[in-house]
Amino acid sequence: MTEKNGDRAGVVQGRLKDRVVLRIRAFEPYSSEFTSEQIGVIADIAEKYGSGVVHVTPRQTVEIPDIERSTLSEIENLLDGHGLVPGSTGRYLRNVIACSRWCLYNAVPVSDLAARLNNLHAGRILPGKTDISLSGCDFSCVRSRTSDIGVIARAEIELTDKECKKCSLCVKAPLGCQVDAISLSEGELAIDADKCVRCGFCSNVCRPGTIRVKSTSFDIYAGGRGGMRPREAVFHKNVGSEEALIEEIGAMLQRYAEYGREGDRMADIIEKEGTGFLEG
Amino acid sequence: MSMEREEMSFDLEMPSVGVIKGVLAKDIEVVGEKVVNLRTCARPYRNIYSVAQLRTIKNVIERYGSGKVHLSPRHNLEIPEVRQKDLDRALKELYIAGLFPGGAGTSVRNIFTCPHWCPKAVRPVQELGMMVSANFADRDMPNKVTVSFAGCSNACSRPQNTDIGVIAVGRVGTGSSGCPDGCTECIEACPFGAIERAGRGVRINDKCIYCLRCVDACTDGMLTVEETGFRVLIGGKEGSTVRFGAEYAVFAGDFEVLEIIERALSSYLKKAEFRPGSAKKKERLGEVVERLGLEEFMKAPPA
Repeated sequence: MTEKNGDRAGVVQGRLKDRVVLRIRAFEPYSSEFTSEQIGVIADIAEKYGSGVVHVTPRQTVEIPDIERSTLSEIENLLDGHGLVPGSTGRYLRNVIACSRWCLYNAVPVSDLAARLNNLHAGRILPGKTDISLSGCDFSCVRSRTSDIGVIARAEIELTDKECKKCSLCVKAPLGCQVDAISLSEGELAIDADKCVRCGFCSNVCRPGTIRVKSTSFDIYAGGRGGMRPREAVFHKNVGSEEALIEEIGAMLQRYAEYGREGDRMADIIEKEGTGFLEG
Repeated sequence: MSMEREEMSFDLEMPSVGVIKGVLAKDIEVVGEKVVNLRTCARPYRNIYSVAQLRTIKNVIERYGSGKVHLSPRHNLEIPEVRQKDLDRALKELYIAGLFPGGAGTSVRNIFTCPHWCPKAVRPVQELGMMVSANFADRDMPNKVTVSFAGCSNACSRPQNTDIGVIAVGRVGTGSSGCPDGCTECIEACPFGAIERAGRGVRINDKCIYCLRCVDACTDGMLTVEETGFRVLIGGKEGSTVRFGAEYAVFAGDFEVLEIIERALSSYLKKAEFRPGSAKKKERLGEVVERLGLEEFMKAPPA
């Protein structure tokens, strides 16, 4: 348990003076999903120590309100061993979030990557609050483009010499291309490279195998921010593999920790000076 | 056996939204069975789940799902990998606990508010969110519409990046008596450089976004909250492109906010067209605003 300024991680002052809100994140076995066992533990805690309700936050943590400060240690004991920990507050790396692994549009499922990053870095003290969001496709449901570090998985597609059966499944909604990049005019399959967002979705519905995923990679965006002064992230780098992604994010956090002054978010630095400091 | 008969008479209408085609996670070997993801929302109060609802979800994911639940960024709990044959039974259990499928497809998505226990809130937004939720949630729209409420300018619920965003704001009043010598608390606290020294007191310039940070920082009671209200932002989006909403109103009251939301949604219903070069996808609210201009968009549509 990290303690800073006399406050524990994961504890937020509530509206009532003597009550606090406990923010809980999962780190094992997943970070963007809760298992039934974990849901049960949270329900028990909310019933016994809270007011019987929980709030689901946009960063995939669960908040239990109306907890008395004196019961915090008891609650920590209850969380122990269930892969749950209070956290995702303050000047730390917040919970790393990821989109659903069951989504049809995933170019690469990113949930396990988020769990890995969480285990490597979550709770690390940094100059400012830092969000990392991983999206499996360009739609970026988890808001990769307004996070300090946003990752979007990409799937490069190619046309093979297997014969196209002209079924047009890859053209039509709802299972076909979501951005109208594929056309089947005069029986000729054509992909508009400018429109293509490289989600790889079309390869899932192509039964003859004419469209195939050639390679997957990850685009890293940096310097986005929500809140009071929202800002869109800028493209930082494309990396080819999961290992390279983990390594690059580790390096980015390290450079940010060394370079940033206390109180500067990554977005603040990039807004003033560009992404130069991330290059090392 | 009377229990069984009762259960049989409980007829369910299949929901039109919230049941999403899903895929099996790679590590689970189930072949030849259709699975769906259920996206559920708590009702009537949609950003909070009660203990009973959590236990229902626990039972459902153990019995019909894969023992996992995914937290979506809009207060939904997604129950993945429900077999098609179990769908009716799973939905029944959820219905009884006040959990409903929704928040998917081209409709008004789950209303998003910050929690009521946050001490930073300038003005409570949960009741407003509930009213909007009761009136508009899951209503069919040309494309998806997201509505978010934030109780302060910290904007945890990201109202700038949603189609209709509402932020509670307050106007700062500068007192008449003098500030103590050398005190710069409010000037340092302001993130926008909107406070200037003026004689013995301070002056607020036009950079102010009404976040009230200075009032929290003021130790002498010089700065006060004169009035509170809502700033309404229209046309933001987030995803494959990012757009920040344009300010339509500031210091609007509760009923004004409801009225603006109703007008924006009905305008959107009437004025949305297909995206250029596309015959299947209609414009998002922000794209219509961009095409027509905010004033023109918000004009009452012809009857």
